[in-house]
Amino acid sequence: MIFSDETVMAFVDGELDDATRAALEVAMVTDLRLAERVARERRLRARLQSEFDPVLREPISERLLAAAQGTSAKARSGNIIWLRRIPARHWSWPQWSAVAASLVLGVLIAPLLQHEPTEGPLGIRDGKVLASGALAHALSQQLASNQVADAPVHVGVSFLSRTGDYCRTFTLRGKRAVAGLACREGESWRLEALKATDRATSASGEYQPAASALPPAIAQSVDEIIVGDPLDAEAEAAARGKGWHR
Amino acid sequence: MSPPELSAELVTLLPRLRRFARALARNPHDADDLVQVALERALARAHQLRPDAALAPWVFGILRHAWIDELRARARSERVFAPEESGQSVGDAGHDGQAELLSVRDAMARLPQEQRIAVALVLVEGLSYKEAAHVMNVPIGTLTSRLARGREALQTMLGES
Repeated sequence: MIFSDETVMAFVDGELDDATRAALEVAMVTDLRLAERVARERRLRARLQSEFDPVLREPISERLLAAAQGTSAKARSGNIIWLRRIPARHWSWPQWSAVAASLVLGVLIAPLLQHEPTEGPLGIRDGKVLASGALAHALSQQLASNQVADAPVHVGVSFLSRTGDYCRTFTLRGKRAVAGLACREGESWRLEALKATDRATSASGEYQPAASALPPAIAQSVDEIIVGDPLDAEAEAAARGKGWHR
Repeated sequence: MSPPELSAELVTLLPRLRRFARALARNPHDADDLVQVALERALARAHQLRPDAALAPWVFGILRHAWIDELRARARSERVFAPEESGQSVGDAGHDGQAELLSVRDAMARLPQEQRIAVALVLVEGLSYKEAAHVMNVPIGTLTSRLARGREALQTMLGES
């Protein structure tokens, strides 16, 4: 009996009816060529499985777990980027780029990010997005109660978070202004959220700082983690005096 | 199926979705992005899933669509991507009998899309012909012919006579 290639494949795939399968099994005993055709298909299956089955045992990123539960960054909060929800531990620059590009603000954020946290307002270190350069300096030194109008960074409210860290909102001047929220971590400022502001830098390049310029999404981020009221001018100065450590 | 029930099922299915995506997209990060898009779309379309329908083929179908959308978007934006990802160089290997042998992943990446999807569904994911044909929205005869051609191309590229 002659078995077509499709029949041999269907045999290996477990798709033959009982009668044909039995006939093929019997034929294989004496037809070595047929047996080799079956073995060849089984080898291909085995090679594919040994290539792709290890994926099943890989750890699954928090990003995908969140997406499966409908709580991914995109689904949750529109176009705000929740940096701390991006699993950061093993992430390198290209991986971050891929995520950023998949998010609405990727184009905006990517140019702000630097490989090393020595230039630009944002950097990645140990898998975390941290303020750097002028932004880090402003967050550590600038007081909301006493800042110049044309400073590159405008600091908004400062407050204590539920985890007991000082956090501050800010707005960055640029081609498009970006508002964000950063919290103290050691001697660094860890970015919690970023969002493009709708208004801000005008066509003439004139920046329009205003307390009300904080985008609703950032204000909402503050609401989610704030404990008590924002710091007043006196408490803000005192916190700075202690290096933003309690 | 209620969204919380669907979420629980999707979490269970995640390892297989990642494996399927990895068989389609050469780059592991692209593959995970693909899974994320599929998850979001599945949750958004939870109401379309019939109560008696098997979940896995339904989500595999959504992931397959997302992959095809991605390839179209790449083509539209004229983004340069590796020729092997487009599946255009199939058959290059073996023509002169001296082509170097490819890894399984490279060989998969060189298959034309529809053959690659058929191979991924049946040989990697172990779906039945009926399920795979349903995922690809084609008759079973079309599925088996794509599967046969994909297999032959892989055997050639992998150095099986």
